[in-house]
Amino acid sequence: MSFKRMATIMGGTFGLVAAAPLFVGDIRFIMHILIMCLIWAVVASCWDLIMGFAGIFSFGQVAFFAIGAYSSAIFSVNLGVPAVLAMLLAGLFTALIGVLVGLPCLKLAGPYVALVTFGVHMTLMPLLRGKIGMALGSGGSVGILTIPPIRIFGYSFSSANLVPTFYFALLLAMACTAVILVVIKSHWGTAFLALKDSEDFAMSLGVSAFKYKLMVFALTSFLTGVIGAFYGHYIGMISTRMLELDLFCTLMVMVVVGGIGMFPGTILGAFITVIANELLAPLGTYRAMVMGALVVILVLLLPNGVMGFWLKPAEAEAPAA
Amino acid sequence: MLTLSNVTKKFGELVAVNNLSFTVEDGQIFGIAGPNGAGKSTVYNLITGFYPYEGKITFDGRDISGLPPHRISQLGIARTFQVPHTFPSLSVAENVAVGNRFGDPGRYDPDYVREVISFVGLDAQLGHPTAQLNLLGKKKLMIAAALATRPRLLMLDEPMAGSNATEIRQLMDLIVAINRDRGITIIIIEHFMRVLTELTEKLLIIETGTEIAFGDPEVVTSDPRVCEIYLGEQSAESN
Repeated sequence: MSFKRMATIMGGTFGLVAAAPLFVGDIRFIMHILIMCLIWAVVASCWDLIMGFAGIFSFGQVAFFAIGAYSSAIFSVNLGVPAVLAMLLAGLFTALIGVLVGLPCLKLAGPYVALVTFGVHMTLMPLLRGKIGMALGSGGSVGILTIPPIRIFGYSFSSANLVPTFYFALLLAMACTAVILVVIKSHWGTAFLALKDSEDFAMSLGVSAFKYKLMVFALTSFLTGVIGAFYGHYIGMISTRMLELDLFCTLMVMVVVGGIGMFPGTILGAFITVIANELLAPLGTYRAMVMGALVVILVLLLPNGVMGFWLKPAEAEAPAA
Repeated sequence: MLTLSNVTKKFGELVAVNNLSFTVEDGQIFGIAGPNGAGKSTVYNLITGFYPYEGKITFDGRDISGLPPHRISQLGIARTFQVPHTFPSLSVAENVAVGNRFGDPGRYDPDYVREVISFVGLDAQLGHPTAQLNLLGKKKLMIAAALATRPRLLMLDEPMAGSNATEIRQLMDLIVAINRDRGITIIIIEHFMRVLTELTEKLLIIETGTEIAFGDPEVVTSDPRVCEIYLGEQSAESN
C-alpha cells in the first residue's frame, strides 16, 4: 500500500476522532473510551510493526507497556522528575530493555522468540510484586497510586480535564503512528520486510540482520514505553493487573482485526475492538465467548483484517507490500 | 582475487569441508562440481560468512574470515541460492533495489536498478509481485538483485537446476554477458558438465568436502576419479 493511501486512512481516522469532542465532549465515559482507543492504537501498531512487518514474533508488547508505565511513574513519584521528561526517560529505558530482550532473540526462530518474549512478560509480574520491585518503588501488589498528571506550562492533563487530555493523547498517538508510517515506508521498512521474507537472501544483499532487528526492538519498545508512561500519568494509578492475560488477548484481537502486517489497520482495529468490547458488555460472562467467535468469523472472511476492504487484489496476495 | 587456505568446516562429527584450498583469479569463470552432499553449497556459505570455519579466506588480499554476510556483500561478493529466494512482500523492482541500497550503501541509484533489471530481461515485470514470476524469472531476479550490489565476484549456486534446454541457453548467455560485459568474476556450482566445460576456465571437483580434481575443464572431466564419482567404478575403468 502506498504512503499516500496509508497517510489518507490515518488522517481520515484521526480527523474523525478529533471531531468527537464536539458531539460527546461532555460524556466522560465516551471520552475516556476514546483516549483508551488512542493508547491501544499505538501499542497495537507497534506490535504490528515488529510482528507483521519485521516478522519477529515478539509477545513482549504488554510487558514493554508496563515497563514504560512503571518506570515513568517511579521517575516522577520517587525522583520528582517532571512527567513529560519522565515519559521520555521511560521510553528510553524501555528501549534499552527492548534491545536487551532482542539480543538473545537474534539467533532464534519464530516460536522461540515468542517464548522468550512472553517469558519476559510472565517474569515481570512477580518481579514487580516482589522484593526487587518494592525496592525499586513499584508498590508491590498494590501498585503505584499517586502518579502525578502531565503538566505543561502549569496546565494539567489528567482524567479531571478529559477533553484537553484527549487532544494530548490524540497528538501523541498521531506522532507515534506517524513515526511508524515513516519507518515502514523508509529503507528501514524495506529491510524489515526483506528480513521477514528471506533472512539469508537479505543478508547476502547487504542487509544487517543484527542492526535492523535490534532497531525494530528498540523503536517499538520506545514508542510502547512512551504511551505506557502516558497511560500511567493519565489514569493516575497502575498495578500489575495490566499484565494479566485479558489485556494481552484484547491487544492481539486489535492486531488481527486491523490485519497483521496491514498498518494502519491496527489503528482501526483498536477502535473497533474497544468499541465492540464495550457494546458487548451487557452479555456479561458471555462477552469473551462472543468476541472470540466474532474474531474467528472475521479471520475467515477477512484474512487481511478490515484493511482487506482497501486492498487491491495484487496487494491482498502480497501482504505488507 | 579470492583465496581459500586450508578451510575446514565441521558440523559436529560430520566434516562438510575438509582442508580445502583454491584460488579464483580476477575475471575468471570458475566452476565447482561434485555429487549431491559434496559440500559445494557449504563452501559458498563459508565464503559469504553464513557459517564460521577453520582456515582463512581472503578477497582482494583482505582477510574476510569471520565477517558477517552483509559486510562480505558490501565488500563486493554477491551470491545466489540453489532454491530461488525472493522477497514476496516487495515488487520485482523493490527486490532488486534492496541489493543496490544495502549492498552498495550510500550509492543508491534507481536508474542503475532499472538498468540491471533490463540487463537480465525482466523489464516487463518491473512492478509485478514476485509471486507472478516463473522459476526462470525468479532465478533472473536473484541474479539482478545480486548484480545490484555492484559486486566484483558473483557466486551462482546451480543456476540451471530445473531449467529446460532453452532456459539453460538463456542463462548461459546471461552468465557470459555478466563476465565479459560487466567484468565480474564468476564462480558457478553446477551439475551439468556441458555447461561447466563450455563456460568455465578452471574447474574444481569436490567430494565429501575434499578436492578430487582441479584444472582445465576438459582435462578434469576426463579424470578417472571424476568419472568414478559421477558414473561409477566400471565406467571409470572403461574410460
